[in-house]
Amino acid sequence: MFKSFLFAGAAAGLALTALPASAQSIDYGSLELLFNEPVTTSATGSPQRSSQAPVDMDIISADEIRRSGATDLPTILSRVAGVDVQAWSAGHTDVGVRGYNQARSARLLVLVNGRQAYLDHYGYTAWTTLPVRLEEIRQIEVVKGPNSALFGFNAVAGVVNIITYNPKFDDESFATVRAGTGDYQELALGQTLKLGERLSARLTAGSSKEDEWDNNTGSLDRLFLDPERLTANVDAVAQLSDKVELRVEGGYASTIQTDIISTYAYAPAKYLNHSVKGTLSWDSQFGLIQASAYQNDLTVKTEIAAVPTRYENTIQVFSLQNLFKVGAQHTFRVGVEQRNNEMPTAPMPGGIISYDVMSVSGMWNWQVSDTLSLTAAARHDALDLQRQGRFPVGLPPVTNALWDRSLKETTYNLGAVWSATPSDTFRATYARGVQLPTLVDLGGLQLVAVTPTFRGAFTGNPTLDPTVVTNFGLGYSRDMPQIGGKVGIKLFAQKSEDVKGQPNGVQADSPATPISLPVYSFVNIGESEMRGFELTAEGQVADGFHWSANYVFTDIEDSADRGYNTAIRYAAFSETTPEHRANVNIGWANELWSVDTFARFEGDKSLYYNAALQPVEGHMTFAGRIARELPNGMTLAVSGQNLLDDAQRQTSGLAAERRVFMTLSKDW
Amino acid sequence: MFTRYAKSASAVLCATALALPAVAHADAAKNLQVAGRALTFLEGGPTGATRMGVVFDPSKPASVAEKNAVMAAIGSGYDAGAIKLVGTAVEAGAVGGSNAQVFFVTSGVNYAAVGAAARGKKIITISSDAACATSGACVMAVATQPKVEIIVNRATASAVGAAFKAAFRMMIKEV
Repeated sequence: MFKSFLFAGAAAGLALTALPASAQSIDYGSLELLFNEPVTTSATGSPQRSSQAPVDMDIISADEIRRSGATDLPTILSRVAGVDVQAWSAGHTDVGVRGYNQARSARLLVLVNGRQAYLDHYGYTAWTTLPVRLEEIRQIEVVKGPNSALFGFNAVAGVVNIITYNPKFDDESFATVRAGTGDYQELALGQTLKLGERLSARLTAGSSKEDEWDNNTGSLDRLFLDPERLTANVDAVAQLSDKVELRVEGGYASTIQTDIISTYAYAPAKYLNHSVKGTLSWDSQFGLIQASAYQNDLTVKTEIAAVPTRYENTIQVFSLQNLFKVGAQHTFRVGVEQRNNEMPTAPMPGGIISYDVMSVSGMWNWQVSDTLSLTAAARHDALDLQRQGRFPVGLPPVTNALWDRSLKETTYNLGAVWSATPSDTFRATYARGVQLPTLVDLGGLQLVAVTPTFRGAFTGNPTLDPTVVTNFGLGYSRDMPQIGGKVGIKLFAQKSEDVKGQPNGVQADSPATPISLPVYSFVNIGESEMRGFELTAEGQVADGFHWSANYVFTDIEDSADRGYNTAIRYAAFSETTPEHRANVNIGWANELWSVDTFARFEGDKSLYYNAALQPVEGHMTFAGRIARELPNGMTLAVSGQNLLDDAQRQTSGLAAERRVFMTLSKDW
Repeated sequence: MFTRYAKSASAVLCATALALPAVAHADAAKNLQVAGRALTFLEGGPTGATRMGVVFDPSKPASVAEKNAVMAAIGSGYDAGAIKLVGTAVEAGAVGGSNAQVFFVTSGVNYAAVGAAARGKKIITISSDAACATSGACVMAVATQPKVEIIVNRATASAVGAAFKAAFRMMIKEV
């Protein structure tokens, strides 16, 4: 089916070359230079200045990435106000927004240029499987709160959309060599090519490896693998005519690391991930019309309860949208999307779980006056679930018909932005998002465990309902020329209904029968409410100094349905979410030198390990980078993470180790 | 006491007067930067060296001051994205005879007359005064303080045959 999409896209592209008019992708760089601020399409699908986006959003620039000294995306994201990280091993970190972070964090949708990098089979993001290198990222857009009306399911806690340089507009090439403690080694290369006037491409590849953190958990040493990562990425843009453009992106990642699964047990994991996406854009007289198709293929070799497990997951997505302006004040987006997602059951094969989703969506942005804009966006998804294949002995006597189920959900985002004065901006948002049960939750998991001490079956639950998240936010920001920056405050409240609980061997969801074992599964266990506030400030001082600081408070209250206990179901979010987190960044730079320091505080929390909540004391981490510019576009930098301790307990698992890196890089 | 205040006020006025040209020059450069980059979002817009006529009224000190600041900012050529602006001062009454590809209309000139002449020549007009665009005399007005603002008059743009790219239109104010 996917091949036919691509063929159709190519055919459409050939046909469109005959049209008399005009298609362009968004030139982020030129628009940013024009408006003197970052530009985003992650709020509504329409290009907008970040200060006018009707969502709660932070944008991390390429310069901030470069000066972060970080070697991975979660470390960079951890410095954004309200972003929570749980670093379980040197290669596996879970990222959440404003609480509810957990092993296999499912609530944060992660995309690369709009292509899903979030892994649908188990509902999480394995950050190392993203095929992009940090050097090729133009900006990282972090939306806080649901944005399902634009991106669909799972954009509930927020969205991270990673925007890479566009080879058509950005001539960015690089080489990076990095070495560090823990036997860290990394090599990355990227080259942008102009192949005539109408074809541009960027090729990147990279490899890294390091030692896993020391095993101080009591778990078996064989579970812990030294992380290795190999990636390759191609991004090509062909100008088919003055107004028609085809962008093709292909990514490959092969990763070895130590994971932690949703029931907080370590597991060795080997990922093989590849994707291809084609996007055809036409800047027509009817609007900016965009058709895209992509396919992600994933293989994960891991284990569950010491049983070798192989996950296979294929996602195919086709979408078509038109973005247009009516009159001087109204911008609209209309779109349709078709998605197919499937995986064979694991670790016991024999079945295939799949679903098709048809979606329609729309957005209306109304510039009411010079100072007030209103945005309304909505999306309707219709999902058809199905199962094929046989069942292993020991499971309850059910048929595939149990999976013949339709889910229909409507999500929306409402936003108002009022620029009361040129310096004062107020923002109000209200959103409804939906977290879809994963394929594993819906039956992809199929494990019959019979040991001398335990007899039972762990399976998915096709009747599991999605978690519905509604979020209300208010924000105020004020530009402060006195400090060369701005200050802001945000208030937010969120409610999650039909919260998902994980299987636990101490509570069967279906009793044993003469012909079947007790079943342990995923169930909806209740609801949860969160409220909090965020304070931010940033500024610049003469002589190249800059600073930023943020603090976020969240308070979560969980409420379990009768018969369930949130702690037993790995869903005690009031316990696992710290109330306090804060970041401070101070930096300085001149033409030759740059120095950046990053301090992060995270308050007390408890996290699961060995099936029980373990207290994790609040902690401060410190990171930094010192860099010297050299001739010919070269830079030499020393950077470090977790610098305060040799090894620091930041989760209930492995202690995070200090890492110091030496980096030699060249840009051209 | 009054004398002391008067001296202080005089000192402030002198300092302000000295500072004004620098501020005006800085704003002129920023406005030029925005105007030039905005031109790159025109369908079939100019590339490379682009002749900009800086329209002024010699009888209006403010207009002359802005013309001087803009011309100073342009110098021998001002790079703004994909184009290089090359400036020529043009008196308001001489717009019809100018060979400029784009006019920068300084504050204080008779917008209506200049706008009409430019429309007749199908030439884009840009001003730092929002009123020039909102009145329909100019195609575009740009401002950079406290934030970049771009206003495009759709009717005037259409009259001179100027069409901006869709993404650009979604990020500016149209009247």
